[in-house]
Amino acid sequence: MSKDDAGAGKGEMVGNSFTLSIGPVHPALKEPLRLICEIEGERVVRVDFELSQVHRGVEWMGTRRNPIQILYLSERICGICNICHALAFCRAVESIGDIDVPPRAQYIRTIIAELERIHSHILWAGIMAHEMGFDSVMHYTWRARERVLDTIEYLTGNRITKAMITIGGVRRDIREDQYPVLRETLNFYSDIQAKLEKILLKDPVIRSRTRDTGILSRKDALSLCVVGHVARASGIRKDVRHDEPYAAYPDIGVTPVTPDQMTGEIRGDVYDRIVVRLLELRQSVDIIDKCIRGMPDGRIVHEEKAPKLLAELRGLEGDGIGRHEAPRGEVFHYVKMSKGESPFAWKVRAPTYNNVLSLVPMLTGRQIADIPVIAASIDPCMSCLNRAVVTDSGKRALVDQEAMHRLSVKRTQELKRRLCK
Amino acid sequence: MKPGALNRSMWAFHINTGSCNGCDIEIVASLAPRYDLERFGLRMVGSPRHADLLLVTGPVSRDMESKLKTVYEQMPGPKAVMLIGNCGNTGGVFYESYNLVGPADRIIPVDVYVPGCPPRPEAIIDGLVKLWKKMEIRGVRK
Amino acid sequence: MKPEDVISSLKKAFGRGIKDVRIEKKAANAKKKYIIYRLWLTAETGIFKDAVRHLCSKYPDPHFSACSGYDTGKSIELIYHFTLNYATRLSEFTVSIKVSLPKSNPVVQTITDLIPGALIAEREMQEMLGVKIVGIPDTRRLFLDKTFPADVYPWRKDEKGPQKLVRNLNEEGKP
Repeated sequence: MSKDDAGAGKGEMVGNSFTLSIGPVHPALKEPLRLICEIEGERVVRVDFELSQVHRGVEWMGTRRNPIQILYLSERICGICNICHALAFCRAVESIGDIDVPPRAQYIRTIIAELERIHSHILWAGIMAHEMGFDSVMHYTWRARERVLDTIEYLTGNRITKAMITIGGVRRDIREDQYPVLRETLNFYSDIQAKLEKILLKDPVIRSRTRDTGILSRKDALSLCVVGHVARASGIRKDVRHDEPYAAYPDIGVTPVTPDQMTGEIRGDVYDRIVVRLLELRQSVDIIDKCIRGMPDGRIVHEEKAPKLLAELRGLEGDGIGRHEAPRGEVFHYVKMSKGESPFAWKVRAPTYNNVLSLVPMLTGRQIADIPVIAASIDPCMSCLNRAVVTDSGKRALVDQEAMHRLSVKRTQELKRRLCK
Repeated sequence: MKPGALNRSMWAFHINTGSCNGCDIEIVASLAPRYDLERFGLRMVGSPRHADLLLVTGPVSRDMESKLKTVYEQMPGPKAVMLIGNCGNTGGVFYESYNLVGPADRIIPVDVYVPGCPPRPEAIIDGLVKLWKKMEIRGVRK
Repeated sequence: MKPEDVISSLKKAFGRGIKDVRIEKKAANAKKKYIIYRLWLTAETGIFKDAVRHLCSKYPDPHFSACSGYDTGKSIELIYHFTLNYATRLSEFTVSIKVSLPKSNPVVQTITDLIPGALIAEREMQEMLGVKIVGIPDTRRLFLDKTFPADVYPWRKDEKGPQKLVRNLNEEGKP
């Protein structure tokens, strides 16, 4: 069997390092993030990664299309956080041209971005539960996720790729007669959030698997420039919605969520990241509620007719930066236009680029059974990132993903027996 | 193979050749309790050597071309291949790139194409039903 | 901490090595008017690393966001984007430092000893634009795999660009 088997690295154990495929680990979803860890006995000694399987050349494609075509391309950089790339790109282009976005469009953008955050956090909660072996929680959360997808379809027309955001505003309005459906969804998710808190945070087995596992110290987090919930769980209050005024967030007021708001202390481990995410779910429900209450009237887009908008964009010259707080962290887009059909340069930096380096201090010295849990806790966005292949020390033991997952589940069951006697 | 032999137990292996993961989460959503493909007898397995059906998503990137071929060859016959999403069919939005190698049917033979970006879970179920019918009527690849 | 203070401290330390300074004020308007500041400046290649060191020592732990780069024909320009003043309400601003490298000798110093989180961005610049980064701890390719030809840099617009490798998936031969 070749070492570079397609798939999750199959093969015999021939040495003491192995390849691990990580991702939204349902057996359906493989090939996303790949870590190769060098192990001695049961402990990880070295961690490395390589990202090349999903590189499609999106930034190169962007220099050959006009900005409105790039909107469609940027939505499909990642299937889970697609509004964030479109929003950051639009902010970058709007800042080059000083294009005014009407207030009503800002509020609608906020509502859609927060709905996407709810969907992504619930998906991640299911994955964390699966990694630890709680499959019924995984199915429960994925069933609960369907409600927000239905709401998104009701408002925008599609479940995943929403195509709501355009340069200068949004493409569709959210009318008053649609508010009752939105409010019911928010009530549903307040309920779900309370249940998830009880399931994930109060269970003794989950607590013992996640407390003091995968700790990222504050010093490491600052020097590695991590973003998103990984930074906030380590005590660094970075949140683009709080730090930079855009969309409707400055009117509403967003506080960065840190774990001491619930537990009273900050340890930077996997448990803290779960706490941060569940509190953010509650925060998103609040934000959408405030947006509905304070929705201003007026237009929804700067320029409705696409040919006129394109003509305006063709005359732009300059550089622009657009940032947005995606469910996983800060998304950063840089656009340079120079009076042509297409931008001169485009740079996309997805949040997982910054977060993947944090796996090195988190995994070194841990046991094999902890690896899936820790790697899933940083919420790697597979396609934003490409994969992580882990290097080795010469000999490569390929333990496949199922064996890895089984080790993790076995650990959970041992803990259950010990704690729930 | 007797007709109807795979009706109750199709074991599927999924490979992502560079997609944006939109199609992948719709596959996951179709296995979740609401659409529940498992009640039709479909099961996801962890190794291509146990699989009857290969689900492919994504435009094939340069790195994944040889891996896709290897996975296909590792599957024991009778086997079938289903392409999910626009990327595998024609490239979709990524139709022109320096790192992508042709739509997937240039590399392995394909039985069913499910278009959409991403296709709804209902479309994936529809594709699966068509695949079963095709295997009954026309037989399968050895 | 204000953007003007950052500029004046850099200018005091490096004088003419800092050029093309621009402080952009962009309006971010929902119901009330807010202002976002963006700082743009160009640093000469020789003092670039010292400028970053100055930034790190005066404003501890600047957040490194990304590094973008493009090919202008005669030179390769890299822009390092930092943000300062995070975790304070509505007052974060970005500082973008541009370095212009001649194509005949595209060499720049690494900043991973000051900010370890910049490793991924620097590896990407090396493989996408052919920049040589002195002192980088890891010189392997990041996003391009081993079968990608060694002398092709995807973001370049000259003869080293990816023209020969481009394929149009719609036009591939179909029966």
